[in-house]
Amino acid sequence: MLRHSAYFTALIETKIFRRTFTFYSFHVPKSVNFALRLIYSLLHFARLMKYETVIGLEVHVQLNTKSKAFCGDAAAYGAAPNTHISAISMAHPGTLPRVNERAIEYAVRLGLALGCDITRDTRFDRKNYFYADSPKGFQTTQDSHPICVGGKLDIEVGGEQKTIRLHHIHLEEDAGKSIHDINPKHSLIDLNRAGVPLLEIVTEPDLRSGEEAYVFITELRKLVRYLDISDGNMQEGSIRCDCNISIRPKGETKLGTRCEIKNVNSMRNAKRAIEYEAKRQIKVIEKGGTIDQETRSFDAQVGHTNNVLRSKENAHDYRYFPEPDLSPVLLTDEYIDTVQKNMPKLPNEIKQELQLVYGLSDYDANVLLEDKDMVFFYKEITQHTKNYKAAANWLTNVIKSYLNENNLSIDQFALSPKTIANLIGMVDDNKLSNAAASQKVFPELVKQPDTSPLELAGQLNLLQDSDAGSIEALVDRIIAKFPDKVKAYRNGKKGLLGMFMGEVMKASGGKVNPKVANQLLREKLDNKT
Amino acid sequence: MKIDKPLISRLEVLAKLKLSEAEKEEFADDLNNILQMVEKLQEVDTEGVEPLVYINEEVNKLRADQVEGMVSRAEALKNAPDQDETYFKTPKVI
Repeated sequence: MLRHSAYFTALIETKIFRRTFTFYSFHVPKSVNFALRLIYSLLHFARLMKYETVIGLEVHVQLNTKSKAFCGDAAAYGAAPNTHISAISMAHPGTLPRVNERAIEYAVRLGLALGCDITRDTRFDRKNYFYADSPKGFQTTQDSHPICVGGKLDIEVGGEQKTIRLHHIHLEEDAGKSIHDINPKHSLIDLNRAGVPLLEIVTEPDLRSGEEAYVFITELRKLVRYLDISDGNMQEGSIRCDCNISIRPKGETKLGTRCEIKNVNSMRNAKRAIEYEAKRQIKVIEKGGTIDQETRSFDAQVGHTNNVLRSKENAHDYRYFPEPDLSPVLLTDEYIDTVQKNMPKLPNEIKQELQLVYGLSDYDANVLLEDKDMVFFYKEITQHTKNYKAAANWLTNVIKSYLNENNLSIDQFALSPKTIANLIGMVDDNKLSNAAASQKVFPELVKQPDTSPLELAGQLNLLQDSDAGSIEALVDRIIAKFPDKVKAYRNGKKGLLGMFMGEVMKASGGKVNPKVANQLLREKLDNKT
Repeated sequence: MKIDKPLISRLEVLAKLKLSEAEKEEFADDLNNILQMVEKLQEVDTEGVEPLVYINEEVNKLRADQVEGMVSRAEALKNAPDQDETYFKTPKVI
């Protein structure tokens, strides 16, 4: 140990005197080499720790309206290319857009849930840019009068509560889709998505790590799903975000120059992109360089961000101006009250209900709440059984691990809530042991979901005998078979109970209810007369 | 306001156009003429007058969330300068 610490010193000094590291590492034991690498990473870590990452997010949530934001085209995902389009979404001359009232309602719903001020006179603007998948040459969005202002979302990271303030939320339309990899000479355009309504949630620069961004987007996704305003489907791009990232020395209050990473498509990629980008900026600053304000993209395959647009020469200049084709939308107090009244329950309210009405633990409630459909499934089960705790256990353990293993979501689950309630009932009625129900019957049942659990348990020969009369006869037989052991037990060798239980289970082929058998055995053995 | 060379280049980028030197000068002249004409309007005293955005006073012209008014793909692609019966084709824009 002492020798090693001597090496430590020697090696650190070599670093200070700029002597070559390899020269020494060649001769030193592996452990020292390891220690040196450890020190190097500690130094590296210390360098990172000098800085603070400041992040603001712009999260785009696609609304699950039937039709588009400003015209009647279907907004559904996954249709054949260019089949959800009209003169309006193709921007033919002389067409007049109109605002989808449901999109307004959904925006207000989200605004109320996040504690925003709802703008009473909300208006639309044109954001001008030329790109092939935006046929009008501008995006209809909101700039000067966004529908929601302020608000906040609380998140919990590493056991600590944190409030993320929102700058505003606005309603806008999505662009179409450009496909660059089918045709070698041309880009191909599918306008199905052009005009689909999006809410853009813009935060204040309150986030400080990739992890916080991850949790923020996760919580927001959960919320919009509970509010039933978006399906939050990540694969279908229902939630995308732009991350604005800057770094500054800890303690500094002025913001550094930020870079924007466009169009990140998942929580995980947001976290990776932010962590990569923060390290990149620190490296630049530590080498004495400066950060250029630029737009970057995240390459999820290699985990790097790349520059796509440098601000000074080429930055977008969107030249926003009011959209005269869409009249202002005035929202009254009565309207906002109605939206509030029709609001679906929020996760926190449901959590209270799960704890107070169903008596679930904080943990169980949280696991169920991760997925809105889980909660619905849970409530369905409790329509058919009063054993609320067992219903929660089935969902959070057996069913959840089955779904995870098979990469399914709860709405793809083959068994009905009623079937699960049946299983719970069978265990409660001592017809089936809990272990047999979850480990033997359940795995078979998901393969043949139309069979009744009772029938299947019968086929698998797992039904327990809980009839006290027949178990008593069996217990009597065993007691009569081992008179010596009975004497020993009654003389104080209480440990023999296990042996008696084993004999009873063996004689019954494992099918008697162990609880009943155990109780009967005790009674008989303890009863000396 | 004066339209000068740098501004023309900027507009060229924003409009995704490629202009020759001769065209740049031509456009600068044209735009300056237009601006001069519009500048005449600035002589009017608009103190205290809200900018006019909407040409009528209608508000809340909302639409129910119903699917309607779509056209078939064949019909939609009819007016496209270039298409492949499924997609609109544009020059490579990546």
